[in-house]
Amino acid sequence: HAADVAAQAADAGTPQMVRSSTVEVGASYVSQDSFKAGEYTGMEKKGLTVDANIGLHGGDADSATRWNVMGTDLGLETRNLQVDGGEQGRFRVNFGYDEILRNRSDSYQTPLIGTGTNTLTLPATWIAPTLPRVSAATINARGLSSTVTGAMGMVTTPAVVGPPAVAAHVDATAPTTAQLATAAALQAADLPAFHNVDLYTKRKAYNGGVSFDIDPRWQVAVSAKHEDKDGMKPMGTVTRANAEVSTIIPDLIDQRTDQFNASLGYKDDKSFMKLAYYGSLFKNNVNSMKWSDYSVNGGTTQLQISSAPSNEFHKLGLTGGYDFSPVTKLVASGSYARNTQNEQFVTDPTDFFVPVTSLNGLVVTKAIDLKLTSRPIHDLSLVAGYKYNDRDNRTPVNIYGFTDAQNPIAGTSAAPNASFATAINAMYPNLAPVSFAGNTSGNFNLNANRPYSKKVNAFNLDADYKVAQGETVAAGFDWDKTDNYCNGSWIACADAAKTDEKTWKAEWRANIHEDINARIAYEYSKRTVDYNEDAFLAIVPMANVVPTGVAGVTQSAYQYLVAQGLTGYGPVAGFSGAALTGPAGYYMASNNALANAAYANANRISELIGMRRYNMADRNRDKLRSSINWQANEKLALQGGFSYNQDDYANSTYGLRNAKDFTLNLEADYAASETLSLSAFVTHEDKKSRNAGNSYTANSTAANVNGFTAISGGCYATIAARNAANKIDPCLDWTMNTHDQVDTLGLTFQKSGLMADKLSLAGDVSLSRAKTDIGGNGGNYVNNPLAVAGAAAGTVAAYFVSAQDLPTVTTNIIDLRLNGKYTLDKQQSVHVGYAYQYMKAVDWAYDAMQVGGLAGGLPTNEQAPAYKVHTVAVSYLYTFK
Amino acid sequence: ANAPLPDLAGGKMARAVDTDKVCTICHDANYTKPIFPIYQSRHGVTADSRTPRCQSCHGDSTKHQGDPTQHPDIVFGVKSGHNKNAVDAKTQADACLTCHKSGLRTHWSGSQHERRDVPCAACHTVHAAKDPVLVRTSQPEVCFSCHKEQRAQEHRISHHPIKEGKVVCSDCHNPHGSTGPKLMAKDTVNETCYTCHAEKRGPFLWEHAPVADNCTNCHTPHGSTNTPLLKTRAPWLCQDCHSGDHAAALNSGANLQNGNVNTVNGVNPLANSAAKIQMTGRACMNCHVLVHGSNHPAGSKFQR
Repeated sequence: HAADVAAQAADAGTPQMVRSSTVEVGASYVSQDSFKAGEYTGMEKKGLTVDANIGLHGGDADSATRWNVMGTDLGLETRNLQVDGGEQGRFRVNFGYDEILRNRSDSYQTPLIGTGTNTLTLPATWIAPTLPRVSAATINARGLSSTVTGAMGMVTTPAVVGPPAVAAHVDATAPTTAQLATAAALQAADLPAFHNVDLYTKRKAYNGGVSFDIDPRWQVAVSAKHEDKDGMKPMGTVTRANAEVSTIIPDLIDQRTDQFNASLGYKDDKSFMKLAYYGSLFKNNVNSMKWSDYSVNGGTTQLQISSAPSNEFHKLGLTGGYDFSPVTKLVASGSYARNTQNEQFVTDPTDFFVPVTSLNGLVVTKAIDLKLTSRPIHDLSLVAGYKYNDRDNRTPVNIYGFTDAQNPIAGTSAAPNASFATAINAMYPNLAPVSFAGNTSGNFNLNANRPYSKKVNAFNLDADYKVAQGETVAAGFDWDKTDNYCNGSWIACADAAKTDEKTWKAEWRANIHEDINARIAYEYSKRTVDYNEDAFLAIVPMANVVPTGVAGVTQSAYQYLVAQGLTGYGPVAGFSGAALTGPAGYYMASNNALANAAYANANRISELIGMRRYNMADRNRDKLRSSINWQANEKLALQGGFSYNQDDYANSTYGLRNAKDFTLNLEADYAASETLSLSAFVTHEDKKSRNAGNSYTANSTAANVNGFTAISGGCYATIAARNAANKIDPCLDWTMNTHDQVDTLGLTFQKSGLMADKLSLAGDVSLSRAKTDIGGNGGNYVNNPLAVAGAAAGTVAAYFVSAQDLPTVTTNIIDLRLNGKYTLDKQQSVHVGYAYQYMKAVDWAYDAMQVGGLAGGLPTNEQAPAYKVHTVAVSYLYTFK
Repeated sequence: ANAPLPDLAGGKMARAVDTDKVCTICHDANYTKPIFPIYQSRHGVTADSRTPRCQSCHGDSTKHQGDPTQHPDIVFGVKSGHNKNAVDAKTQADACLTCHKSGLRTHWSGSQHERRDVPCAACHTVHAAKDPVLVRTSQPEVCFSCHKEQRAQEHRISHHPIKEGKVVCSDCHNPHGSTGPKLMAKDTVNETCYTCHAEKRGPFLWEHAPVADNCTNCHTPHGSTNTPLLKTRAPWLCQDCHSGDHAAALNSGANLQNGNVNTVNGVNPLANSAAKIQMTGRACMNCHVLVHGSNHPAGSKFQR
């Protein structure tokens, strides 16, 4: 016995120098198929899966040689294997393999054939859907639904601005036999073509590297990573080739990314330096997606959308640090990077002017970072920093001519197209002259690209002062100045050429008792900008061309705006009364926004005067952070935290007006004994934002709807009065409020020492309950579908429809996990586990994805995520030296 | 002249372990806190002459050797009722930075964690065969012990696979300090995001201004109730910046299929209408899908 005690004592004093190895093999049974439950875990299929984890370690205790082989989830599509080894202090080599699965949808359906390729077609039997009860000629995807066709036939017109889009009402009469036969025929032809396509992406990454310690001061390291990303994701597409319709297609993903790192490092007692290179080469093997237009019988019209272009990024950086003294240190770094992209353009017949075949894109980024830290006196710490980051986009600016959404080129040449052609021919003397003879002013675009550049200069000064033992006050000031610009643009392109943001910070933190520490911090930021409502003109260079052949017009659109003291958004005024003539009548007839034809753009791209894009708008920001931690006794620890953020865009009449949120955290950790620990937390987040707009349309002299003139509600009694003030009608102002509330609860326990210390148990459960409420104020006018020819005299022509709250969107998630480990002996143990996953999402956005939901969009029948998945698992773990 | 290479001669291990016996004679394998696993870590590769002995980090601790009731010179960890003798964070950091000054710690001095007195041992467990914060599957829990908002966000319907261990905090952040905002691993938010999302890097023929500016203008990275990781839902997110053409329209419950449309005189003539495509389904992205940029000559409106 004495010998045993002595042996145990000797054993207890002799450490194990090399890690033990483990091999774990097991199996799991999943009770239900669920893409969402297995979104990232590879456990999306019902049934049995076999899995394995390994941790193999070796080396010579008497030398610095070590090696490791680590593998997790080797039996799943999320497997990871990492191998490393070397002689510590001399060199190290590592390589690995990793898979990341992302399940997107297993309820997506499409009639398109050829999924998994970049060319998608419709069956030859495909009949373009219509709602025959309303119109046998107008494309309407609601016609795919027998319910809509039979009892709910109301045509919609997506072009109508304002809710809901309505045209003629036809419920008053039953569908004719011929209409029902037409509907039945197209449904019989089309609905069977819809089939499920699982949409998911898969990343497979291979990495490797080696590092050498040339000597204790110098180290060189190189590494590389190659990643393949494959699969499909849902992607919206639109066309006006025949009718304006949207199709959600399965977008093919076939991409490669190679990343390289190389560095040379030096360090001594007082300084360090690192010269580093980083390269990232992205290659997309899909240059475009083609799909058949569902608004054409047999889908015989093929359409196209471009895919992300291949690109390269190369960066060289140098970082160095020097300790002037034990309390004063300087760290400086600088980098130079080049990001290039020159993929061959994808073009279509409706792209009638493409001056170059590829972008020759180049972004040069230069960065400097300086940080000086010092402790001039023992209790005072100072940090002074300067950052410079210049994203200089040197991509050439060119003008491109096209029609929207492959809208067929139509019409005949008319002023001002001839003058636009003259301007283009002068800009591109080396290209064949263009005439735009086939284009009307209304359906074509001459747009110039805007290569956005951004130059940031940021300064900061922070001080921390220990006012007493365990008590610190801190203060700081940040100043960020940013210049935004586009090289080569004919006019300033940035919504704000300069933004200037100053931030003042204050913080107090202390151990207010040896068992209690607390922190409260507040920041106030004020951002001011020079907002420019003419910036959008950079995309329409024809706004700088004086049109020819237009009576009385001798100025370009921009010259006219400047002369009138207006921005490109036009005047804030109602109908002018007498029709405007000359430049006013040409550029802004009836006091409306700048006419599209005047600058060669097919859609109005102006904004509301007073709209500010929030990332470049004047902003006041408040941030509050606080926390308290209390070690109540040796067993119980309590933590609490509260944070509050508020962004106020007081000078933004339209767009995002304000956003605020607060988060409350509470946590308790209880160590009941050496073998039992419990933990619980709850987090509540409340987030609100408000934006504003105005659903204006153009001033006009129109005085009736199908001969009816009265308006019910709103700010005007008649159609004539309303139309004369469409641009200034206060009833068209709206605000919408979004309110997210999320509660998250977590409970965990760990219990060991059961069954003679052979059994240990662990469990955790998390519950997340999220709800989003969206509602607002304001409204707009909607024509009365009953105001049709033959209706009774005095029938209301249009109603003012007030904003309605949206149904609450909710997501409830439960994730329960129980694990048990039974130790057979020093080398063997058995693990058992049970998991319960629950999700129920209620979201109105999915309603429109069903057959009959949308007039202008092909249904996908996608379903909101919902699952109840039980998983049981058992594994055997073997440990050895 | 360069310093001599580490002495990797045989027998170093035994001598090093003997050197530690002044501590391990009491703090042995049976000690209440695990001490010996450090010998299986990189700190414990004793043949590498750079690796520390107990007293390299904890100090000579002469008083503690003579009287176990006296604490060692340098006690690591977060000072609390459980760990009353922990020295201040700077003293702890100095002990670690003696060897770990360069590399990922380049920007430690003056960083957010350094200024808030977060000691290395708050995150790192040195007396372990493998430090949990260096293991991808266990790292998030270490960070979430303080960053509780991010822990909650990970449980939302749209999230990066952090709790699944496929993306971890240190993929995007360098907790020891960096040249970027929010301890980003790269100089900017966008450069960090493009590490995994290089297809969004461009440069595109048609750039979307807020994308080139900052990914977080629209996205919140840890988790969101709005897929895919959006700050708010479309179309209202888009209408935060766009107010012209059909973006001028009010989008409310009246625009849903069979939307509950009430007019001032109570009639409801608009029932059975279709939902508005700009608002529901994928909203604006039903058509304007290439919001990260388009490289098609006709893609200025992000439709091609």
